[in-house]
Amino acid sequence: MKVRRWTIIVTVLAIVVMMLPAAAGAAPSNQGQSYTVQKDDSLWLIAEKYLGSGAAFMAIVQATNAKHAEDSSFAEITDASLIQPGWKLWIPTKEEAESLLAALPPAPAAGKRALNITFAWPTYIDPAVGSDFSSTSALCNLYDTLVFPNTKGGVDPHLAESWEVSDDGLTWTFHLKKGVKFHNGSELTASDVAFSMNRLLEIGEGLAYVFLGTVESATALDDYTVQFKLTKPSGLFLISLIRLYVLDEEEVMANVVTPGPYGDKGDYGKEYLLTHDAGSGPYKVKEFPLEEYLLMEKNPDWFGTFAPNAPDEVRFIATTETATVRTLMSRQELEITDQWQTIEALEALDAMEGVDVAAFPVLTEFYLMIHTKKPPTDDIHFRRAMAYAFDYDAAVALEWPGTKQSRGPVPAITAGHNPDVFVFQRDLEKAKAELAQSPYADKLDEYPVEYHWITEVPAEEKFALLFQANMAEIGIKVDIVGTPWMSVVEEMASQEQSPHIVSIYVSADFPEAGSLLKVRYHSDAAATWSQNEWLLDPDLDAKIDDALATVNQDERYAKYRELQDYIVNLCPSLFLYDQVQKHAYQSAYVDWPAAKGEVIPVMGYNMYAPVIQILPH
Amino acid sequence: MKLITFITRRIIHSVFVLFGLSIVIFVISRVMPGDPARMAVGARAPQWVVDNLREQMHLNEPLYVQYYYWLRDALHGDFGISLVTRRQVADDIKEFFPATFELALFAGVIMGGAGIFLGTVSARHKDKWIDNFVRVISYLGVVTPAFVFAILFLLLFGMTLNWMPTMGRISAGLSRPPVVTGLITVDALLAGDFATLLDALWHLILPALALAMGGMAQEARITRSTMSDNLTKDYIASERSLGIPEKVIMRKFLLKPSLIPTVSILGLDFAATLSNAFLVELIFNWPGISRYGINAMLRKDLNAIAAVILILGVVFIVVNILVDIVVAQLDPRIRLAPGRGE
Repeated sequence: MKVRRWTIIVTVLAIVVMMLPAAAGAAPSNQGQSYTVQKDDSLWLIAEKYLGSGAAFMAIVQATNAKHAEDSSFAEITDASLIQPGWKLWIPTKEEAESLLAALPPAPAAGKRALNITFAWPTYIDPAVGSDFSSTSALCNLYDTLVFPNTKGGVDPHLAESWEVSDDGLTWTFHLKKGVKFHNGSELTASDVAFSMNRLLEIGEGLAYVFLGTVESATALDDYTVQFKLTKPSGLFLISLIRLYVLDEEEVMANVVTPGPYGDKGDYGKEYLLTHDAGSGPYKVKEFPLEEYLLMEKNPDWFGTFAPNAPDEVRFIATTETATVRTLMSRQELEITDQWQTIEALEALDAMEGVDVAAFPVLTEFYLMIHTKKPPTDDIHFRRAMAYAFDYDAAVALEWPGTKQSRGPVPAITAGHNPDVFVFQRDLEKAKAELAQSPYADKLDEYPVEYHWITEVPAEEKFALLFQANMAEIGIKVDIVGTPWMSVVEEMASQEQSPHIVSIYVSADFPEAGSLLKVRYHSDAAATWSQNEWLLDPDLDAKIDDALATVNQDERYAKYRELQDYIVNLCPSLFLYDQVQKHAYQSAYVDWPAAKGEVIPVMGYNMYAPVIQILPH
Repeated sequence: MKLITFITRRIIHSVFVLFGLSIVIFVISRVMPGDPARMAVGARAPQWVVDNLREQMHLNEPLYVQYYYWLRDALHGDFGISLVTRRQVADDIKEFFPATFELALFAGVIMGGAGIFLGTVSARHKDKWIDNFVRVISYLGVVTPAFVFAILFLLLFGMTLNWMPTMGRISAGLSRPPVVTGLITVDALLAGDFATLLDALWHLILPALALAMGGMAQEARITRSTMSDNLTKDYIASERSLGIPEKVIMRKFLLKPSLIPTVSILGLDFAATLSNAFLVELIFNWPGISRYGINAMLRKDLNAIAAVILILGVVFIVVNILVDIVVAQLDPRIRLAPGRGE
């Protein structure tokens, strides 16, 4: 009995003695201190308490393991996520901690900051092939461009430090930054820029349409000066250079497959660039199993600046399947979802803890395109009657909160948008008054309006039904026909076969009003899917061409604003709403500029990873 | 009829079947509406790009000339370029087919193993609670499409319980074993890489199970009904009267003849999983041939469509031959019938 009592006393004493240094060391010390792990402790919390930052926990691990080598009463930490109550740790001073951390090798794989995003497959990472959302999102991370788009719809210098344009607007000269390295280590020079442009023009796919017909030649004047000659002055040329992704000529040409469709250039490196990059951008391809995912890793030698917690790895996962996305989100294996989730799916994701939905405006507007050459919609009063009878508020309410009715023919986020343009609102009295002036007023039954919506976008049907109900109120009969996309494209190619109304989303290539007005209302685009209006108005064509050829930005914008008034006066379309792009994301630990309203209004650029931060979680 | 003669005859027949199939898919894939070249290069590409591609793919030639080119190249193993992946279809097949084959193989094992087991148990305890239970499960399995199981498993084991991996063939960051067969499990085994083998198996379980549920239920039902039919046969009664234990009767005399319809159906079910795996592959982000084929159809990827259907046709034929051989082994009457039926 006595022996047992003594044992207890000795043990208690021993524990007290062992605890003493820890208790004494709780006060700030400049010598380092030992610490005994308590229940519910974690290295992160201890580091936060003693070293001022949880992220410094590796210093404690290092210091403790060093002590363990001398004195086995200190614990040996093999797994930083697992420490046991009672373990004795050694906490270094802040200075020691700093030097310990500085000496550490780069974070091991498990601690990598990962950014996972789901995307609709396929993703093309060849700048002369890819042009859709997933492709441009990858391209802007893998490659650099002469200029970089900013949030105001303009551009900032990037690979080009400065540039000048000749008085006739036909010759553009760019001066490149020196010392920019491709992922393979070779230097990026002017001849690479010229090569990239020529390759794009010669292949003609993907984003080539941006330059075809405008760029006559690209020449390297010396290693750091590149000159473009244009066939006609273009106000859009500078901004269009955000789509000229610069490839390493040497790497591409070393990997061509011959024979190929491009003569002595074989396949022009297309097969190689399907799964490899030849860029200089902030990220480089690490793995790319097709149909599965594209894994990119940080390029430590990039010439630009990464945000402090920019991801080490970015993975584009090739799925948009709702159940998969939801599961990945709940397991924090996915940071940002694709843009194709339905409203219902987004609501479910939004309800998850730590997950929010980011909704930001993009360069896309939803139009009801009205045929202006076919009775009864060839009559402007008839069109105006429809514009007054439609319930815009109800239409906007069908979309994600934050969606706004469009003001005129271009989205409000576009540079050169006219905020003062006339906007139709629902007013049945005015609608009836307009209809009364129409020659078709007393024979509405003979002139039903045929409305086509695209079956691949099921959500469009709701707007068709709303339109039908609204028009019934003023006596206009509407026949709704769901039509597959390929058929719509075919019928829109002919003036006779185009229906009275088609509902279509159209996006601008560049955040400038002119680029959208050209494809929407210029006669050149009359037979394409981006125009059902068949305005065929030579005055309008001349005005659009003139605006686009204006190199001075302010003058160009002023011309865009006039154009918008001109178009609204013709009432060729109903401007429903500016589309917002919706992504659910891990708001608890992902700092995403686009979600905070810092939106770069160019397709792909809101997935620019160097500015997205992955915080500890 | 000797086995060799039998197999040779079947192979000769198969060549004709494949030839017919190739004509049918070729024609169907080319008369679908829409211009594949235009779809491939996008709405904004200039017309000369489309024209060049059409030229390259011989799309401007009459259909029979196109077929001649296609057949000539296909016989050399060249199925042309895929318009979606932009590389040789043959490369795509090499990459995506093994993924689905591995999946279907495991699904097949589950279907056959679990199906026959459940069917036997059911037949043996006919009209007892266990039989009723298996029958209810079988009905559920037969009427529920595989993708429902896939979503269910994903949400239950992936999201709610968080036990299983939900995506792809192996964990990200794990290096793949050197490709020998293309089946990651087999390749890992060959390379002696057991960590990868386990990881790959772990990834296989949910999708394979989801795919197998329907077939498993089918197999269980068929095994049960054939076995209970055969149980009423005279030879079983005479075996019983001889005092042979029930277990031995079941295993030795009843199971083998009762498996004939099960094996025939199992073969078809297995081959069907290859093409039916589409939604399961989509849900588990499985880079397989089924998903590839459907994507090809949606995007009018002519060469890929033709190649995928042809490959699946070959698989169906091979599986059918195998099934016939197995059935012949199970039933001497089929084996011995000279020159009759196939």
